[in-house]
Amino acid sequence: MSQLEELKAAIRGHLDSLDCVIGWEEGYDPLHATPLFIHTEADLDRLNISPLAVHNLATYATGFKGTKIGIVVRGCHSRSIIELLTEKLIERDEVVLFGLCCDGVVSQRKIRAALPADPGFVEAVEIGADELEITIAGEKTTLKVQDVLADKCRICAYPDPLLADVLIGEKHAERPNDVGLACQDDFEAKSGAEKLAFWQDTMSRCIRCYACRNVCPMCVCQDYCIAGSRDPLWMSQENTPAENFMFQMIHVSHLTGRCTECGECERACPVDIPLMLLRRYMNKQVREVFGHQAGITLDKTPPLLTFQVEEARIKERDW
Amino acid sequence: MRIGVFICHCGSNIAGTVDCESVVEIASGFPEVVFATDSMYTCSEPGQDGIISAIHEHNLDGVVVASCTPRMHEPTFRRAVERAGLNRYMFEMANIREHVSWIGKDKEHNTRKSADLVLMAVEKLRRNRPLVAKSFETVKRVLVIGGGVAGIQAALDCADGGIDVVMVERDQSIGGKMAKLDKTFPTIDCSSCVLGPKMVDIAQHDKITLHTCAEIESVSGYVGNFSVTIRRRATYVDWTRCTGCGICTEKCPSKRSPDTFNEFMGTTTSINIPFPQAIPKKAAINPDTCMKLQKGKCGICAKVCPVGCIDYEQQDELINVDVGAIVVATGYDLFDWHKYPQYGEGRYPDVITALQYERLLSASGPTGGHIKRPSDGKEPKNVVFIQCVGSRDRSVDRPYCSGFCCMYTAKQAILTKDHIPDSQSFVFYMDIRAPGKGYDEFTRRAMEEYGAQYVRGRVAMIYPKGDRLIVRGADTLAGTQVEVPADLVVLATGVEAAQGAVKLGETLRVVPDQYGFFVESHPKLKPVETNTAGVYLAGACQGPKDIPTSVGQGSAAAAKALGLLSKAQLESDPAVSKVNLSRCVGCQKCISTCPFGAIKAVTDRFGNLKAEVIETVCQGCGICTVTCPQGAIQLEHFTDNQILAEVNALCPPKMYVNFE
Repeated sequence: MSQLEELKAAIRGHLDSLDCVIGWEEGYDPLHATPLFIHTEADLDRLNISPLAVHNLATYATGFKGTKIGIVVRGCHSRSIIELLTEKLIERDEVVLFGLCCDGVVSQRKIRAALPADPGFVEAVEIGADELEITIAGEKTTLKVQDVLADKCRICAYPDPLLADVLIGEKHAERPNDVGLACQDDFEAKSGAEKLAFWQDTMSRCIRCYACRNVCPMCVCQDYCIAGSRDPLWMSQENTPAENFMFQMIHVSHLTGRCTECGECERACPVDIPLMLLRRYMNKQVREVFGHQAGITLDKTPPLLTFQVEEARIKERDW
Repeated sequence: MRIGVFICHCGSNIAGTVDCESVVEIASGFPEVVFATDSMYTCSEPGQDGIISAIHEHNLDGVVVASCTPRMHEPTFRRAVERAGLNRYMFEMANIREHVSWIGKDKEHNTRKSADLVLMAVEKLRRNRPLVAKSFETVKRVLVIGGGVAGIQAALDCADGGIDVVMVERDQSIGGKMAKLDKTFPTIDCSSCVLGPKMVDIAQHDKITLHTCAEIESVSGYVGNFSVTIRRRATYVDWTRCTGCGICTEKCPSKRSPDTFNEFMGTTTSINIPFPQAIPKKAAINPDTCMKLQKGKCGICAKVCPVGCIDYEQQDELINVDVGAIVVATGYDLFDWHKYPQYGEGRYPDVITALQYERLLSASGPTGGHIKRPSDGKEPKNVVFIQCVGSRDRSVDRPYCSGFCCMYTAKQAILTKDHIPDSQSFVFYMDIRAPGKGYDEFTRRAMEEYGAQYVRGRVAMIYPKGDRLIVRGADTLAGTQVEVPADLVVLATGVEAAQGAVKLGETLRVVPDQYGFFVESHPKLKPVETNTAGVYLAGACQGPKDIPTSVGQGSAAAAKALGLLSKAQLESDPAVSKVNLSRCVGCQKCISTCPFGAIKAVTDRFGNLKAEVIETVCQGCGICTVTCPQGAIQLEHFTDNQILAEVNALCPPKMYVNFE
């Protein structure tokens, strides 16, 4: 039985006891997937778990609080669920997790770059073992999945869900969890002036659509985001690089010790701002200072959600 | 809003390096400022009257005073604006003394910085709103932590003032360090004869509850309403029945227990009463050396006890008590002199501390008051005293003077001569510090009448020669090296914070300084208060102190506690956190970070979780406000908008930045 069939069978078995199960289906064209809310067995037929199914469905979890739902999770998505559970933002007995052992998902940005012409209307996508065959206007292009794999998947330490009620697929061998990305190192090696110039340029693209915020599984302020508030008034609605960057600074500081690096913010950004540069940097600091990684186990308190007179690794006094 | 700005000269303290007239001129142009002036001493009566009349004349509804630190005079000026009919929170202070005039000499820059600080205060004041304090009842009971002489004095004064007292002592008996002393300077009266009656008073006073072998487990609550948990260690003796007859201590076969009361000058029995005058005079078992508790064999004390009070199954006991005020009198411990290589690091048994020597001098000590040196029990003829061992020495991180070592060394030199008339004392000293009443006369007596030889210099090494020790040091007055043969060397070990003081400070939210001594609220004007309301300091826990000063401070702390609890009701500070219920999403992050347990979860009428601040418990630290991602919890009087306004006053936002 294929992974998909196995998953469908598992969901079918739970569907009666759940208000809905969230998975993926084909979106507006065969190249793009979209979240699928499965209420009946008929909906189940549309389920799609190919490498094109990229969304972190944990983002929906808090919205369904008070009901009982199922969520299909990949490794990194399960970390978001764990973090939400740790922060008591969702209840364990209100979610059933269908875990997929994941070989990585694609980056639409990389596919777009690899295609010879603007994708426009995609007619068909054939998904092979490690190849994608994309048909646009009658012309076929074959891409290696490895070449268009998302950055987060290249360095993924947890391809298998860390928390799941049903586990589908073969477990992977253990991977190191401290592999870095060359693009991150290159960026961090830049001088302050170069970084400033980079962000001034990049943030001038930002249109403040807040897609990065809305797609983030850890952004739980609902309609009360500080970005749209006058009291407290942390920033104006002015669309300047300074204010745009201020919003990102607030976002990243609200994620301190909580970000699970699912990469949704960067994926959702319509103007391709490399937001993960900020997230990965902050996570590195948190690992150094607090020895903490978000969403790995259920028994760790995120470092900024507790009070200690003296932190173990921050020596303010040396007696 | 109509704001008045008052720039204080503080005599020449501020005016010396700040052009106050210019600051007035600049401040006149700040938003909503309708009146600005300067005065020589704004805190003086004419200065305060000036504020009050300006409020009436110019119809002001907010006041900024630029002067010293708010720690000094914020309460003064708040009362002044209140007398003029304004709310006390419609006042802001700019610190242009400690933050400006005292730290910079450049008048031009100082003036500009002063104007900036005034602008920050004005911008904050524009966003202030009137706040009103709430009143609450207090518990008329005082907790005294530590049963040394300072704690004893504080407890007796509070109890005599008609307030219930709970005293907690870590050791088996109260008395502290003073109970270990033989005589006290400068009167050479017997320490236990002075202290003993006071200890008995503690035991017999009907308003004092004494818990010894006990420590503070946790403290919650706030001024007037602390809730304290005390952990009483198992003593394995039922103290309600123990009569202190001492038969058990005579029969106990395990004699390997370290004798802490005698400063480890020998060992004692596992079941023990530390000294004859101990209060409470009850026996306790040291579980580390008791054969019954270690190996299950023995049980002799249970057999011989005439009242059957031995209980090998006894467990630690947690006692909860509510108190209105806390007096901390945890005292001091001695510096560990083994860190010094020059004194032999403990290789020579005849190098002892002054407190150990005190036990040798004491009639209730291990030698019955006869000076016998530890190595062979011989009477020493040459006794060398070395002062400043762990005092005034940066190399061991003890740069401070321990204060009373000069005096007790002189006392011990005198007592040595009294005990052994043909003895000779030598004292190596750095300076003689004897500033108390009758103190200098006392040290002179040691030299002139008792023939103690004072050598001004440090000791470089001690080495054995035959059955004696040779002390080699410098005589800086003669400019030579000296070698003194010694039968006994007594180290005037310095004072350091009591063990566990830092941890206790965390429990009590009292800040220790870099050496572990608790920090008072103001070094001159609030010497026994701490920055936690309702917690007071007495004795050496605040810094090295001799007995008269400790007793004085014990009384002072008691006066503060009595004063606090004499009020029928206390007022809470309204500058506490407040939840904007419409913005709160009930994520409860603030609850998990609050160090005071001052936030609880409540359900609103729609069944949504919300945070709620318990106003009297909140200390206004602001941790919740930085935790809340959507800014739903705000610290009153220090809201995000108020602080952002101050920041924006310093770094004006560039409104039309566009890098495109």
